[in-house]
Amino acid sequence: MTEAAIPCAAAWRSRLILRLTLGLAVLVLAVLVGVVLGETPLPPSQVATVLAQKLWGAASGVDPIDAGIIWNYRLPRTLVAAACGAGLALSGLVLQTLVRNALADPYLLGVSAGASTGAVAVTIMGVGAGAIGISAGAFAGAALAFGIVAALARAAGGGSAQLVLAGIAGSQLFNALTSFFIAKSANAEQARGIMFWLLGNLSGVRWPDVALAVPVALAGLLACAVHIRALDAFSFGASAAASLGIAVRRVMVVLLGAVTLMTAVMVSLVGAIGFVGLVVPHAMRILVGARHGALVPASALAGAVFMIAADVVSRVLIPGQVVPIGVVTALVGAPAFALILIRNRSRA
Amino acid sequence: MFLKSTLTGLLLAGAAMLPAAAETSYPLKLSNCGIGLSFDEAPESAVTVGQAATEILYSLGLADKVAGTSVWFTEILPEFSETNAGIERLADNDPSFESVVAKRPGIVTVQYEWHVGPQGIVATREQFSDLGIPTYILPSDCTGKDNSKGSDGTRSDMYAMESIYRGVSDLGQIFDVADKGEALITDLKSREAAAIDKAKALGLKDASAVFWFSSAEMDIDPYVAGRKGPPAYMMNALGLKNVVDSDEEWPVVSWETIARANPSVIVVAKMDRRRFEADDYEKKIGFLKSDPVTSQMDAVKNDRIIVLDAHAMDPSIRNIDALETLAGALPKFGLK
Repeated sequence: MTEAAIPCAAAWRSRLILRLTLGLAVLVLAVLVGVVLGETPLPPSQVATVLAQKLWGAASGVDPIDAGIIWNYRLPRTLVAAACGAGLALSGLVLQTLVRNALADPYLLGVSAGASTGAVAVTIMGVGAGAIGISAGAFAGAALAFGIVAALARAAGGGSAQLVLAGIAGSQLFNALTSFFIAKSANAEQARGIMFWLLGNLSGVRWPDVALAVPVALAGLLACAVHIRALDAFSFGASAAASLGIAVRRVMVVLLGAVTLMTAVMVSLVGAIGFVGLVVPHAMRILVGARHGALVPASALAGAVFMIAADVVSRVLIPGQVVPIGVVTALVGAPAFALILIRNRSRA
Repeated sequence: MFLKSTLTGLLLAGAAMLPAAAETSYPLKLSNCGIGLSFDEAPESAVTVGQAATEILYSLGLADKVAGTSVWFTEILPEFSETNAGIERLADNDPSFESVVAKRPGIVTVQYEWHVGPQGIVATREQFSDLGIPTYILPSDCTGKDNSKGSDGTRSDMYAMESIYRGVSDLGQIFDVADKGEALITDLKSREAAAIDKAKALGLKDASAVFWFSSAEMDIDPYVAGRKGPPAYMMNALGLKNVVDSDEEWPVVSWETIARANPSVIVVAKMDRRRFEADDYEKKIGFLKSDPVTSQMDAVKNDRIIVLDAHAMDPSIRNIDALETLAGALPKFGLK
């Protein structure tokens, strides 16, 4: 059996490498498109000049405001979108595999509900009196919510079904807290500041956010990459994984930790952007198959490209106005998902 | 028949011009934000919902009739601080319906329809009128403005001080202090004209501005003044072009768009509210000077930043204070 599998695996591997190279090229192209297209028109030649100047110290006569928009607004925004898309897609993939539930998404563990509560606590209840930003409050809320969900899941027996149920309970609890805070003391104006953020917003992204988002996404990718065999085993359930010699508890802790870190950081930076974490892993399963050796890199790449594309669409869809990116990911993601499902059915 | 109606028309027109000198003749009928009001006598007491409404009543010398106030944006105008200290504040923000009703007010005077109006969070006007309590909404929030669109409403017509003067005049009539109302309007109008003349003397042609109210997060796209609200009126009156073109009262516009429009002057709002980091005007100026893009804007490089009372950017009698502040600051900038 192994003798027959070796040439097959080699062919699979070389095809995977080819596809990943292609995927990386698409990602680089997407980043460039993300920098060229924005709310105000800037000629691509100018973008090229500015990038050349910043990267290689080439001379540029570009207006400092235009140069700043390209280098300090659009490029970091695009890079964070990519990191965020990759992180959310990986989180969705890992959760879908670990809990063996097709509906699992990065917000399953209460992270997004907790982040909202944290953001509302800062904005409406005045926790931190204007000194902590929404981001810090959101991160604290996300971490707290996951802590409660994890403790509940453990107390309930620690299985994947218990984790899903604990996540639902935790999310409901934190959503109720958010509603309570809003009902207690918000007026229309305050609630608006929150909505603005909850639907996802990349406009405040700057270089320091890149320095946080990109390493976190790469660390998450690494955590998944070293657990590819474990993830494949988990596809057949925790007990099957255990019988294959996987240290189930340790792997769960490491991967859930990675998922929580990625999701909490991304949510706190740009808000809870839906659909990416749910749809991208499913789409990739259909495109590259169920093996995590291909699924992990493919999901990360596709998530990154999808998020950049959604951000570009959100900026150019209505001239002079930015549509919340969460609206775009859902508007584009839902039909795309439907299409993939239908195509897959006819192929099968 | 024709003659009779003409005569009535003349009489009515005469009556409309007269009140400046005359006492209000009750029953007084007037229409306010789409609703007809009728008063058999001057209301004995009032509850105010909205600081602008509160300050108009104080300016008309009606403080002794105010039974309670609510929806405070900032400190009371200094000339009323003593008066105000003796008047109950029902709530800093939105009062509950019952707390307003419990005062048994003869009238509720309101700044914004989103407090008392079709979707009012305090109540609808019907809920008050069912209890026999008339509501008066400042015309500045309904004249040429649709509050069902946009987060803070959307204006179809450019805001005009006339809508504030109309509110002052109506309230003067309702409370039978029409002469005080007219005196206040005359005073405000002469200050308005003086400020405009001062700015007009600069002969501004290419100068432009943006009014930054606040931002939900420090780096995020800011809330700025639309092209038809009070700040737009001020820019228009003073000869400044508004770089924002949105009919919303406070639209969100990206820094990319603002920076590329590169306005000659940036006006930042100063407020007591500390809900967002950017509520603090010093934080706003700090951002403008440190952000790699905004720091390159002409207004920032040349220090053409004006700090302005945020409540003076809302429709209110404070608009005239704002106009004076702006007209006083502009000559120092050497703009054309």
